[in-house]
Amino acid sequence: MLIVQVIVNWLLLGSLYAAVALGFSLVWGIMNIVNLAHGAFILVGAYAAYWAFTQLHIDPFLGLPLTMLLLFCLGWIVQYVAINRVIRAPFLMTFLLTFGLDLLIADVVQLLFTSDRRSINTAYSGFGLTLGTLHIPFDRLLAALIAVLLTAALSLFLQRTRTGNAILATGMDRDAARLMGIRIDRIYALTFGLGAALAGAAGAMLVELYPFDPSQGGVFTLRAFVIVVLGGLGTPWGALAGGLVFGLAETVVPLLPGIGPGYDDAIAFALMVLVLIIRPRGILGKAFYA
Amino acid sequence: MTRLFSYLHLPRRHLAHTGHNSTFQSRSNAARSPLPTALLSLLLALFCSIGLLACGGTASSSNTLLFGAPISLTGSTATEGHLTLEGYQLWVKEVNAHGGIKVGNTTYQVALKYYDDGSSPTRSAQLTQQLITADKVNFLLGPYGTSATLQDEAIAERYKIPMVEANGAAKAIFSRGFHYIFGVLSPASEYAKVMLEAALSLPTPPKTVAIISANDSFSEEVATAARDFARSQGMEVVYYQTYPSGATDLTGVLTALKTSAHGGVPDMLLGSGHESEAVTTMKECKQLNINAKLYAFTVGPATPDFTTSLGPDANYVLGSSQWTPQEHYQGIDFFGTPANYERIYKQTFGHEPSYQSAESTAAGLAFQYALQNAGSIDPQKVRDALARLNIMTFYGVIRFDATGANTFKPMATIQIQNGQVVTVYPKEVANAQLLYPTPPFSQR
Repeated sequence: MLIVQVIVNWLLLGSLYAAVALGFSLVWGIMNIVNLAHGAFILVGAYAAYWAFTQLHIDPFLGLPLTMLLLFCLGWIVQYVAINRVIRAPFLMTFLLTFGLDLLIADVVQLLFTSDRRSINTAYSGFGLTLGTLHIPFDRLLAALIAVLLTAALSLFLQRTRTGNAILATGMDRDAARLMGIRIDRIYALTFGLGAALAGAAGAMLVELYPFDPSQGGVFTLRAFVIVVLGGLGTPWGALAGGLVFGLAETVVPLLPGIGPGYDDAIAFALMVLVLIIRPRGILGKAFYA
Repeated sequence: MTRLFSYLHLPRRHLAHTGHNSTFQSRSNAARSPLPTALLSLLLALFCSIGLLACGGTASSSNTLLFGAPISLTGSTATEGHLTLEGYQLWVKEVNAHGGIKVGNTTYQVALKYYDDGSSPTRSAQLTQQLITADKVNFLLGPYGTSATLQDEAIAERYKIPMVEANGAAKAIFSRGFHYIFGVLSPASEYAKVMLEAALSLPTPPKTVAIISANDSFSEEVATAARDFARSQGMEVVYYQTYPSGATDLTGVLTALKTSAHGGVPDMLLGSGHESEAVTTMKECKQLNINAKLYAFTVGPATPDFTTSLGPDANYVLGSSQWTPQEHYQGIDFFGTPANYERIYKQTFGHEPSYQSAESTAAGLAFQYALQNAGSIDPQKVRDALARLNIMTFYGVIRFDATGANTFKPMATIQIQNGQVVTVYPKEVANAQLLYPTPPFSQR
């Protein structure tokens, strides 16, 4: 029975990690920006959800659309005001800019909410489905379902809608897309806004499950990076694949005899190196918009 | 071959974007008009010297003793860092309010110079160096945490400046043969022991215990000591596991723990780590429906954050504390009793003191009495006076063994009952009964 519980834990955590990396993957894939401020957006999402819960009594899951809308606006503004200015500059410039943004946002969050650890306790937190010795917590299940749903929705949006196709086209060839009449700056703002909104969703779900403090943004940027490299760019499903592989290192590996949880980061990064050697595009990566 | 070439050499058009050209341009501009550059450097020099004067000023003003401390005000241990800072600040405020420290025939006021080390031990060490060399502090107070203390004590030793630290309890700090480090805390081995003793004092004590620990040196030292003590007392240690320090998810560890006691949940769960991991453990025990009879954490329950972030789920949790306001010490210092310290602290900062604050204040007191005893502010003489110090304070006895550790002070076990921290062990200082067993999460 232990093995079933471990597999369930793994699927739940892996899907949650997909949500963490989804926005990061989109921005990297379409705009070729490694957005180091991704963790900061997750942080803002987490604190927005925390604030809404404590002040307005809005459940973090029900308030998810609100959090995403807020983050979308934030992402849009950041893109329009800052990122657009360096979008044609060398890679390092966007790296520096987003790094600076990360510090700025994290410090503002810390000023507003102090560095105390925050956590949300809903009425249903900790309850779950019990099947024999198997236990599936509701909040984790819900978070995992939403993560998969977001992945599917993003995939459909990119493939089936005109705007989505325009985003993909811009990712494939910026100049050709412009010649076809696509307004690149707006597409970029939309993409970055979407990326931030997805980060916000991840943050809102994380704050429900784990205690949160303003120093944690960087942790999640790093994880998103590893997950995207593992899963591959080019499709939202890459984030899910990467998330599941990364979750493997945190849930299954600690139970293997003789290894223990002390090595989970080492194993996650070793997997990353392995994937880079065997399949540099990542598990599901396509040479589509990378 | 062409691929290799294009891999190694950036196309020429790329250079325009890297800013190389503009750098050259600005340099040649500067060369053409030397006046602004000269003016700029003059201004710069002026600013620097003002800065230096300001630093020198605080240190050299004759009747003020400057104490320096790098403290984690941001980063992973920011909460504990702030409590540490408040402890130091309260001591400084009270010393000055009581007329300063009389050393020989001179009376000194006290000032504190601190920097934020961002919870990074490396940064902490750099700041310690800066405090000694640039700020010219007279003495050093410790940073927050064992890892930072291990770094900083080496710097203190090199410059032969005594450091009294209040927030690093690992044996490693005191086993390096250093002579300028003193710690007011009870050592790491006591942290888990006092909680296990509390559990064993129950009419029907827990039989099986699972121990999980972060993999930093302090936490592991506590965990090993706990394992050995539990075994020596006839408790069965059914699970012992370390996890990476600062882990955000512990479901893997907890899932294995859930069935570790012969297929069932162990009677007692003992966590040795940090506050964030203690909160995570409790949250995930609830999520995974792990119902132990007793939860105990070495660090966490004593900090106010623990109760606020867990809400009712924090109830019944045991913690170990270096100090609680309920203890009955009668100190020779101006705080006198723990209760009085609590009162003054609340007046000053508007919230309850935690043990981190109390031990930090105690570090200040150690210096205060050592300075009085030494009758000199010479670092060497103060160090010798610290080594001989034996005083009773509101915080308990402060007396250092040959290595600099305060092995003479007992610890206390606390429990969270209805959102309040109460002392449950040892019996002599307890103000409440230990509630046992903990009801399952579903029945709270």
